[in-house]
Amino acid sequence: TVTDNTGIPIPGVEVSIEDTNRGTSTDFDGKFTIEVNDGESIKVAYLGYKTQIITYTGQSNLEIQLQPDQDVLEEVVLVGYGSSRKKDITGSVSSLSKEDFTKGNIISANDLLQGRAAGVNITTGGGAPGSPAAIRIRGGGSLGASNDPLIVIDGLPLENAAPGGSRSVLSTINPNDIESLTILKDASAAAIYGNRASAGVIIIETKKGTKQFQVDYNYAAGIYTRFNEVDVFNAQDFRQIISERRPGDIDELGDANTNWQDEIYRTALSADHNISIRGNLLKRIPTRLSVGHLDQDGLRLTSEYQRTNASIALNPSFFKDHLRINLNANFSQEKNRFAPAVEGAALRFDPTRPVRDPSSPFGGYFEYFTNSSSGIPTPELTVRNPVATLLQRNDRTETNRYYGNLNIDYRFHFLPEMKAVVNLGMDVGEGSGRNILSPESAQGYNSENELVGSEGFFENERRNYLADGYLNYKKDLFKDFNADFTLGYSYQRFENDGFNVGNLRDPQFSDRVEFADIDLVLVAYFARAVFNYEDKYVLTSTYRRDGSSRFSTVNRWGDFFSGAFAWNIMEEDFMQDQNTFDNLKLRAGVGQTGQQGIGPRGIYFANYEVARNVDQSNYMFGSTPIIPGLPTARNTKAQWETATTFNAGIDFAFFKNRLSGAVDIYHRETDNLYVFAGVPDGANFSNFFDQNSGTLETQGLEVELSGIIFDAKGDTDKFDWALNYNVTFMNQEITSLANNEAIRVGGVGGGTGGTIQIHDVGSAPNAFHVFNQVYDANGNPIEGAYADLDGDNVITEDDRYLYRNPMPDITMGLQSTMNYKNFDFTFNLRASLGNYNYNNVNSSNAQYNLLQQQSTVGNIPRSVLETNFQFTENVIFSDIYIEDASFLRMDNIQLGYTFKDFFNKGNNFRLYAGLQNAFVITDYSGLDPEIFGGIDNTIYPRPRTFLVGANVNF
Amino acid sequence: CEDDMDVEPNDPNAFLDDEFYSQPGAYQSAIAGVYANLTLTGIRGSGSSNIQGLDAGTSQYGRSLMNLQTISTDEAIWTYENDPGIREIQRKTWSSVNPILLGSFSRIMASVAFANEFLRQSTDDLLNQRNVPQDERAEIALYRAEAKFLRALAYYHLLDLFGKAPLYDETITVGSFQGEELNRQALFEHVETELLEVLDDMAAPRTVEFGRADQGTALMVLAKLYLNAEVYTGSPRYDDAMTYIEQLLNSGYTLANDYRNNFRGDNSTNEATSEIIFGIPSNFEESRSFGPVVVMTNGGVGSIEENNEDFGLFNPGWGGAIRLTPQFVEKFDGPEFENDVRNTILSEGRTREITDVSNPDEGFVLIKYTNIRSDGTNPEYDTFTDTAFPMFRLADVYLMYAEAHLRGGGGNISQAVSLINELRTRANGATINQSDLTLDFVLDERARELYWESHRRQDLIRFGKFSGGEYIWAFKGGSASGIPTNSIRNLYPIPAQSLSTNQNLSQNPGY
Repeated sequence: TVTDNTGIPIPGVEVSIEDTNRGTSTDFDGKFTIEVNDGESIKVAYLGYKTQIITYTGQSNLEIQLQPDQDVLEEVVLVGYGSSRKKDITGSVSSLSKEDFTKGNIISANDLLQGRAAGVNITTGGGAPGSPAAIRIRGGGSLGASNDPLIVIDGLPLENAAPGGSRSVLSTINPNDIESLTILKDASAAAIYGNRASAGVIIIETKKGTKQFQVDYNYAAGIYTRFNEVDVFNAQDFRQIISERRPGDIDELGDANTNWQDEIYRTALSADHNISIRGNLLKRIPTRLSVGHLDQDGLRLTSEYQRTNASIALNPSFFKDHLRINLNANFSQEKNRFAPAVEGAALRFDPTRPVRDPSSPFGGYFEYFTNSSSGIPTPELTVRNPVATLLQRNDRTETNRYYGNLNIDYRFHFLPEMKAVVNLGMDVGEGSGRNILSPESAQGYNSENELVGSEGFFENERRNYLADGYLNYKKDLFKDFNADFTLGYSYQRFENDGFNVGNLRDPQFSDRVEFADIDLVLVAYFARAVFNYEDKYVLTSTYRRDGSSRFSTVNRWGDFFSGAFAWNIMEEDFMQDQNTFDNLKLRAGVGQTGQQGIGPRGIYFANYEVARNVDQSNYMFGSTPIIPGLPTARNTKAQWETATTFNAGIDFAFFKNRLSGAVDIYHRETDNLYVFAGVPDGANFSNFFDQNSGTLETQGLEVELSGIIFDAKGDTDKFDWALNYNVTFMNQEITSLANNEAIRVGGVGGGTGGTIQIHDVGSAPNAFHVFNQVYDANGNPIEGAYADLDGDNVITEDDRYLYRNPMPDITMGLQSTMNYKNFDFTFNLRASLGNYNYNNVNSSNAQYNLLQQQSTVGNIPRSVLETNFQFTENVIFSDIYIEDASFLRMDNIQLGYTFKDFFNKGNNFRLYAGLQNAFVITDYSGLDPEIFGGIDNTIYPRPRTFLVGANVNF
Repeated sequence: CEDDMDVEPNDPNAFLDDEFYSQPGAYQSAIAGVYANLTLTGIRGSGSSNIQGLDAGTSQYGRSLMNLQTISTDEAIWTYENDPGIREIQRKTWSSVNPILLGSFSRIMASVAFANEFLRQSTDDLLNQRNVPQDERAEIALYRAEAKFLRALAYYHLLDLFGKAPLYDETITVGSFQGEELNRQALFEHVETELLEVLDDMAAPRTVEFGRADQGTALMVLAKLYLNAEVYTGSPRYDDAMTYIEQLLNSGYTLANDYRNNFRGDNSTNEATSEIIFGIPSNFEESRSFGPVVVMTNGGVGSIEENNEDFGLFNPGWGGAIRLTPQFVEKFDGPEFENDVRNTILSEGRTREITDVSNPDEGFVLIKYTNIRSDGTNPEYDTFTDTAFPMFRLADVYLMYAEAHLRGGGGNISQAVSLINELRTRANGATINQSDLTLDFVLDERARELYWESHRRQDLIRFGKFSGGEYIWAFKGGSASGIPTNSIRNLYPIPAQSLSTNQNLSQNPGY
């Protein structure tokens, strides 16, 4: 029997007879049986523990107690197609296990990661429950291709698109089921995932079954409140400004006093239950079963989110652990009610008008309308009552997602150094939804001008199948020289199809429109070799050959290499006598990763598209509509985008491990950059297509520090305080582009087709492209007056210049954990510095001419009092709207108290209360500085949440 | 399993080319695709576009013509100068980065690309390979002639607007090939040759459906080509212009009795079909885009008048997007125009002058295009329209006759006066005498008869009044009162992107 230093049996310990092929590993009770002769040496090795070698002297029973290896900083780290001791890691990897996870209102897996790892930047789309988050590892590194990292859950790479009706890819996964998160940041770490790893990899490992019976129950309830609003005129001030500016419109005003932003939001509640049961099923199969149910209302009226999860993990092993099977099966059901975005209408709607009007023909909601010549109430062309927009629409979806995998790990009986792993996975998401607009709605006219409301529905199914397998051979080739080889194959297929019906109540849009994506098939061969000499020098090298159906047979395959080296200085003889360092390791690596995540599939096809009825895109020959068939733009030369990353890092620990951390610097060059750029006019069937042309360079410095300020050394009566801090400095520059032509991006509200950002050579991506505002002697902006930068005496497009960009220069995260007796107290702070926003709320609203809102009057932001701008057209591209959006946010604060041995010994009962999104410190004048992409058109406000909860285990 | 990567379209509306052309009716569908580039921006609805770099609707073919031939002149002021590029177009301060110029150049060149693809896919060899029935082949041959015409039409528009274009024909493989530049002289000759070659292969005038091109359409482009030859090449060809004008007069076209039927909701089926030589069709239920008629109806609704019902619109329009310069209004000054049906100007409660472009209450407005049918029925459409955009019509031929005659192209003066008076009589206006018929009169009369039909810039250039200081109108050159502009503005610059993607192209002088 093999036990740890506390006497608990350790399963899976490698036991082998030196200089023979005989080997086995321990079972779940730490027991093993092996054939051994007198005088032979039995080697007992387990990651994180000191290897013991016992000379066999005829004992019938061996009790071996392994001692933790002080040199190793505990963990085993997942590296893709296997795991590695942290000591052997050569690349840049951050990992979080469940003990380190952020506590608080964790709805989605991204909540666990936010602010927790250097180089990982997560921006949620707003405060909607389950809102999708943009996750950027080291800024991504693409312009036109996907910047989303590859997410691998238990060896199953996910698709970045969510099935129809789902809030996001990660929202269907129950965070309570997650055991650990590992982020592969540099190419040498990620290259084993070659084809999809350019933007980094997040490996999610779910919790496994155990032999010990244990039940965990978690409950959390939240109260969500709004704590900020766009500053527009209140009713009294609005009357005043109308009487000053548009005296002719005084009789357009009502006599109510409405804060429309108060009316569209509410205080919302959530409840989250999770129960998991672990134990040995049939006395043989370690099993974990978990069920969770989350019910969360959104801040915006009618917004609802419900998620029900059930997962089962079966982790049996057979033949003395030669054969291990891990089966994960998950079911997730998401039920949503989406609330339409009405923030724009709420800030525009006249505050002197009431929400409800008993005489209104539109369901009792106040709306602007006239009685047409036929006597039918006809809504005026103006803003619609945002409360009615919310309450008269019922937009519900349901998504059922089934995902899981079967992992078979076999260690050869005759060759214990060799193992074969086969992994079969699938992820099927079925979404459906129905979107009904009440016939009483003022927006409920169909194209035949009948007030019938609308009713659309859709179904969508996304399927993802995986089959991969690898052989692993690990052996001491010579004394102190260990080699570890992996050779594998992977096949993955993605399918997506469905239909939608635009509006059943409109004969012109009631057709069922079928759609189906071209299948995406990815095939890869990969190999990895790790050499380790005396644990001092570790060399890792990977090679991956990837094929993607996105490319023609000529350019289908990409080859990606990496090599990395680590030097564990601590293992050197000269370090044995020093007391300063507890860990010191240098790492350096270089590697390539590929990107094929470009928008259209089948871009190389000679493809024709035929117009569908519902699109009303026919050509008339006389009175006969002819369905046109049009060739689509094609690029037969499309190929892999390739990123080459150089990374160097140092891991260190001082003061008896009380201060530890890592510093990494990297330089990444993305070549054959995917850009959506110009093609010669007349040469193709568009003037733009996706093409490989351009280079983007990214460099950065990342520091992660962990410090134990007060070390209670496990004594719960003493005060214990640990801090984790990370900081990221990053800079990106486009160094070449197709035809040296800048690419306009960043569409804005206000006007038709305007863009505010540009990708240009010599600049960061998405730089703001604006006019340089001219101010008068008193420092007030002069409307429409801009610096004539090209000196031609007229202000034209050529006078726009590049000014700032939305990407932060520095991001930081700080987590503090304190324990004293039975109390625990944690908080998470996050900061972003040097990121700029374009305040599109002000640029497209804060002008006096917008006091007229089409046929009525309309409210505008109070910031108009500072600029005194009259016309939107004159000012919308002014740099006055580019604002510093640096911020410091207190993501969460939590205080907990644990009743130990509550029911009986070993059971704990913890109660906690917390505050999420406690405060934001910023100079930004808009609602929230944290806007992905930097164009602020108002977001679904992120709520402040008060949370209470309980964890029980027995 | 590597073979699994050889995927094919799964969408019921997408096909590889061989599969597409092997279906019955594919060639009709394909030629409709070439035509569709004149009206649709993409085949996924009015918001879709196969031309990028600007708003989808703004890239529409007829909309490009409207922006570059109408908005750039004294005929209109566009209120929303935050719509990218429009400010520089209407103030004559554009540069090569203007998105409307890119959209226009790219949209018109797309017609060349689509026409070439049709010609590539309809060779006898491929028809045989795809077992296309013999009885469909004659129609396909006609389609081929129409595809060649549409390609020549596109090159004619580029000749007029940009003065040069890259050469692409059906022998060039689809991809990133950089076509050789045709300078203005070479482009003129290319269009001339192509039109003369294809003329006999096309259907006789008025023998194909509305919306398709026939010999009459080709004659019209030839007539326009020669009328403007002096501008294009420096060598006058007014006699050649007169030849084709006279052929057109004898091709069976007749004026509609009611001038306004040319611009009504049923102009693709009412009596105007005898006057409209080529129209870009539009259909509320079947064929939607943000084309010129949609813009000139919705945008024509006055901010003060809220007269959407007069346009046959159920929705209240776009808050007064289009107004008139005072200089255009002057063309209808005088008692003889009070009852002229072409004079649809609304002035009540409005100032004639525009001091601030952004203020939709300033400046006069008018009603030209409507959804209302010739029988007076009002469909009350929402935004979109059935009204075709009349790219060419017979009234223009009448005016071209008078001008070609006055410029020494032959014909006779009494015929010229009588044609003008036919237009005037129809319009319920005062007739003219021989002595009234001067070139300046023709230019003004063209404005009165043909405003908002995308001829104005070409006309002003032919009369030497578009750039320079001879004729100043509001916001010409930038300021409200207008200033002279440089003569380089008689040509638009080649868009910066079009230059950078095709190294063979050179920029027009002065840009």
